[in-house]
Amino acid sequence: MKFAFYPGCVARGAAPELYKSTMMVVDKLGIELEEIEKAACTGAGVLQEKNQKLGDVLNVRTLALAEQMDLPIMTICSTCQGVISQANHRVVNDQEYLDEINEELAKEDLHYSGKTEVKHLLWILLEDIGVEPLQKMFNIDLSGFNFAPFYGCYLIRPSDALGMTKNPKRKHSLDIVIESTGAQSTDYAGKTRCCGFPILLINQKNSLKMVAKHTGDAKDSGADAMVTPCPLCHLNLDGYQAKARKQNKRGKADLPILHLPQLIGMAMGLDPKELGINKHLVSTANFIKSLKSKVA
Amino acid sequence: MEALIKVKRYNPEESEDTYFQDYSVDVAEDSTILDSLIKIREEQDGTLSLRCSCRASICGSCSMRVNGSAKLVCKTRVKEISPDGEIITVEPMGNFKVIKDLVTEMDSFWSKMKSIDPYVKTSFEPEAEHIASNESMTHLLGVMNCIMCGACVSECTALEVDSTFTGPAALAKAYRFVADPRDEEANSRLGKLNENTGVWDCTRCLACVEVCPKDVAPMERIVKMRDLAIEEGYTNTSGYRHTESFNDSIKKHGRLDETRLALESTGLLNITGLIDLAKIGIKSLFRGKLPPILPHRPKDMKKVTSIAERLDNQGKEEE
Amino acid sequence: MSKHDLLIIGAGLAGLRAAVEGVRQGLNVAVITKVHPVRSHSNAAQGGINAALTDRGDDWRDHAFSTIKGSDYLADQDAVEVMCREAGDAIIELENMGVIFSRDDEGKLGTRAFGGQKKARTYFVGAITGSALLHVLYEQSVKYNLHIYEEWFVTKLIKEDGRIAGAIGFDIKTGQMEMISAKAVVLATGGAGRVFEPSTNALICTGDGLSLAMQAGVPLMDTEMIQYHPTTLAGNGILLSEAARGDGAYLINSEGERFMEKYAPEYMELASRDVVSRAEQTEIDEGRGVDGCVFLDLRHLGKKFIEDRLGYLQEVALEFRGIDLSEKPIPIKPGMHYIMGGIKTDLNGATNVPGLYAAGECANVSVHGANRLGANSLLDTIVFGRRSAIESVEYIKSVKDVEIDPKELSKEKSRIQSILDRPKGMRSAELRDKMGSTMTKGIGVWRDTDSINFAIEGMKNVRGQLSNVYVENKGKVFNTDLTSYLELEFMVDVAESICQGANARFESRGAHFRTDVTTRNDKDWLKHTIVEYNGEELNTTSEKVTITDWEPTERVY
Repeated sequence: MKFAFYPGCVARGAAPELYKSTMMVVDKLGIELEEIEKAACTGAGVLQEKNQKLGDVLNVRTLALAEQMDLPIMTICSTCQGVISQANHRVVNDQEYLDEINEELAKEDLHYSGKTEVKHLLWILLEDIGVEPLQKMFNIDLSGFNFAPFYGCYLIRPSDALGMTKNPKRKHSLDIVIESTGAQSTDYAGKTRCCGFPILLINQKNSLKMVAKHTGDAKDSGADAMVTPCPLCHLNLDGYQAKARKQNKRGKADLPILHLPQLIGMAMGLDPKELGINKHLVSTANFIKSLKSKVA
Repeated sequence: MEALIKVKRYNPEESEDTYFQDYSVDVAEDSTILDSLIKIREEQDGTLSLRCSCRASICGSCSMRVNGSAKLVCKTRVKEISPDGEIITVEPMGNFKVIKDLVTEMDSFWSKMKSIDPYVKTSFEPEAEHIASNESMTHLLGVMNCIMCGACVSECTALEVDSTFTGPAALAKAYRFVADPRDEEANSRLGKLNENTGVWDCTRCLACVEVCPKDVAPMERIVKMRDLAIEEGYTNTSGYRHTESFNDSIKKHGRLDETRLALESTGLLNITGLIDLAKIGIKSLFRGKLPPILPHRPKDMKKVTSIAERLDNQGKEEE
Repeated sequence: MSKHDLLIIGAGLAGLRAAVEGVRQGLNVAVITKVHPVRSHSNAAQGGINAALTDRGDDWRDHAFSTIKGSDYLADQDAVEVMCREAGDAIIELENMGVIFSRDDEGKLGTRAFGGQKKARTYFVGAITGSALLHVLYEQSVKYNLHIYEEWFVTKLIKEDGRIAGAIGFDIKTGQMEMISAKAVVLATGGAGRVFEPSTNALICTGDGLSLAMQAGVPLMDTEMIQYHPTTLAGNGILLSEAARGDGAYLINSEGERFMEKYAPEYMELASRDVVSRAEQTEIDEGRGVDGCVFLDLRHLGKKFIEDRLGYLQEVALEFRGIDLSEKPIPIKPGMHYIMGGIKTDLNGATNVPGLYAAGECANVSVHGANRLGANSLLDTIVFGRRSAIESVEYIKSVKDVEIDPKELSKEKSRIQSILDRPKGMRSAELRDKMGSTMTKGIGVWRDTDSINFAIEGMKNVRGQLSNVYVENKGKVFNTDLTSYLELEFMVDVAESICQGANARFESRGAHFRTDVTTRNDKDWLKHTIVEYNGEELNTTSEKVTITDWEPTERVY
């Protein structure tokens, strides 16, 4: 299967380990990727605050580029997935608006007719590959481990723009994938909440309260690590975990935060270091040790 | 059909502990969860307390958590939630103190409502009505549809960590006045909403938009008011700097320049903030996670930046 | 004990309007309400509010005539004149308060057509007019810093020396019972739809004020006048606004024909509600319905129009029937909706008990007579809510503080306790259901001697079983088991007086249609039925209707 690849800005910036682990994993999954090199940033909802139309034009442009390639888009970031899906949903239901945007795109000889499908790697694992075929690619049984899913707001809301009615399993996609590795999915309150990243630079106090609550609650519920399909969530939950938990008296930063492809890679038996797990700010040394003892 | 409902009980007269009670009730195929709860209350357990009135999704009384997320139970069908007869968990709304069973206090809700001066501030013209376009009035229909049920407040992830946040319901209501052409205080309203606990504390998680039974879309109103506040000249917030910086990034590179964003949002004169940022920056540097000086740009970058430039100017013209 | 000049029972439109006026007049005002103000049933009114704006070439006398004709000439014409004359100012004031009324192309208030009127004079906000008005009145209550006893249940009115002295009520959230002293009291408790089953009314519409008034020696008037709204959903009774028909929707039977042609060739779907309900019921009874319903057809209006002007109806249709109104007609039938009858008041809301007033649906001035026009109810609440408050000012100035016997509170507390102490018996819902189905059967769209007697006997039975009803919940905090029982007591009082009125009026007029005497008899019956409780039983008398300029004629639509 082939996809037009939209890695997003952070995978190329502050989370290069996401990009690398993705490439390692898709190879094994049999997914062929062709990067949409001309695509712009989605705007992450922030651009849209100031200029909704600009955000929509840039995202519909990305959709048009993929349509030109005659490929569905694969994303690896909840925020990218959400923002592009919202733009897609908006124009598919408003022909007048789509015509307006196509006028802009015409200047670049681009045109969007509303046909592009956008899927996060997480959904591709579930829907295009399937749980059983995926499990056949796993070499390591992760049972005994407990992973806390953290979806990232834009991967699960708003449900009508994310195809949840047609594909209700998407609501629990991360739980399902975690469980497919043999591990348990932690039951804790924060899995569908906000990580606080959007207000990190605006109201850091509240942002860190969120990080402390979700990582603290996950740890208290028995999680060995947290898994997230969004690198922005990762930046906050990993990068600011130490400060957050200290400030909010939730102990030390002892909950490793993993990117989704890293989890898949580990289950496939790929080297954790290669997957970039040692690059995270919250130490994963202990986790890697217990993983190695599983293999041994 | 049999509806299996697990209700979170709490009776302060008996104990401070909450507990779950299982009920099984026989109801019609198209029954709502409210129908079921009323039947339980009327036939099986008179001690169950809940608020309900109109049964037609207009009074806003019956908002409660169904399988973890707030809904108006008068318009939520049993079959919709549990197509195969699964147990439905019903709990009181989140982010509110519970009075008893499914009844929460609403004082915090009403006081936040009051804090935004919820009445049109206009000069009284007893002779005739204010002239206003139909568009401007129908535009307000969206927010006027709010029945003050509290579902958005129940699921607000910002309120969960900070109860001083004004919250989605009160802020959506504030928009109703800001956007009312007859209200003469839009500017000062926006000024107040621009401050602490106001529009910039929303974490843009879409939870309120997702659960609102009336499509009021509180988050979108909040975001709109951020925009309006900036237009009115309220630019002394990190929120403003954040949005501006992001915009500039796209105009310049077509992609996000994370480093610049972090610096500019913090504020180039904010020494403590910058030192803080530097700490994370250094840690990231050592792990090879510091974003490159020049962000990875899209191919044919100029195509993107020209669109951004053009639409940004268009936006400015419209202002 | 708390003391106020003016205590208003009920925080719907009438109650809040009275309260705001009271504050403006400088009184010490308090509102006591069993639900938060915005939860009041006023919010369910959908279609609009009538007014003749004279500066726009409309004539209030035309509105008055439509109202009087609609009432089948039972309305007191001086009262109708007051309401219609003050309507214009009332609407402008509401707009000034901030209501987001729909506008015409010039940006002035816009109208839609409505039942029983030739001229379109119904001002509206989408299909949520009641809610929009109520929320604005709530906003005004915030602006005026109104004192509200929120979620308090009133159990009794107190009189001293023949005048009103206050009320006893308890905080539903804590069970704490108190006596509140007031020089004047306005009853604004709304309707009593829950006496019937099904009904469009909310669960809180249990006729509390009607019973409180009766117990205080105030007569009820025209209680047999029960309005069945033509377009309600079968089963749950939820309302689909007349606004649909006002905006052009059709009523069709199982054969697809617009049957109103046969019954009201001139007004068609916009004939008065009793005429339309009877037409529908006839079609259904004669086999041209489907599952006891006929159909409301909006397909020709188009999806966008429906979503813009009738959004709430689309919401109800989709949520409760899975029907998109732009694609399919929706099955509807007549459903109990409103009581024209109520607490007898004069033009200013005053009752026969000094200091006691009533306004809104619970009152009967009478402006609606034997049938209410759509969009007149919202107007009624605003006009008479305001007038009651203004009227009370002089009275309040003229009387001294009243001393209430503290034993009143302990007596009432014991009464409530004895209810809680009852041994296991019947649950209040069971008895209420019995009452509801009996009343709907006996006092329906059609009634006759047999059906009325069926209802009377039924209510005797219900009254007899009241003492068997027990309250399982013995707690103090949010005890809805207790409030349900107390509401049942109120409802039985109301049901009995409805039966009494229906039994007395031996003619057909407006909503009171007897199949055993189908014609209107102005010679003998151009009068109001008055039902009064003398402490032991109900007495029925009558009073002439006030006629000013409009001689009763045949009512044809």
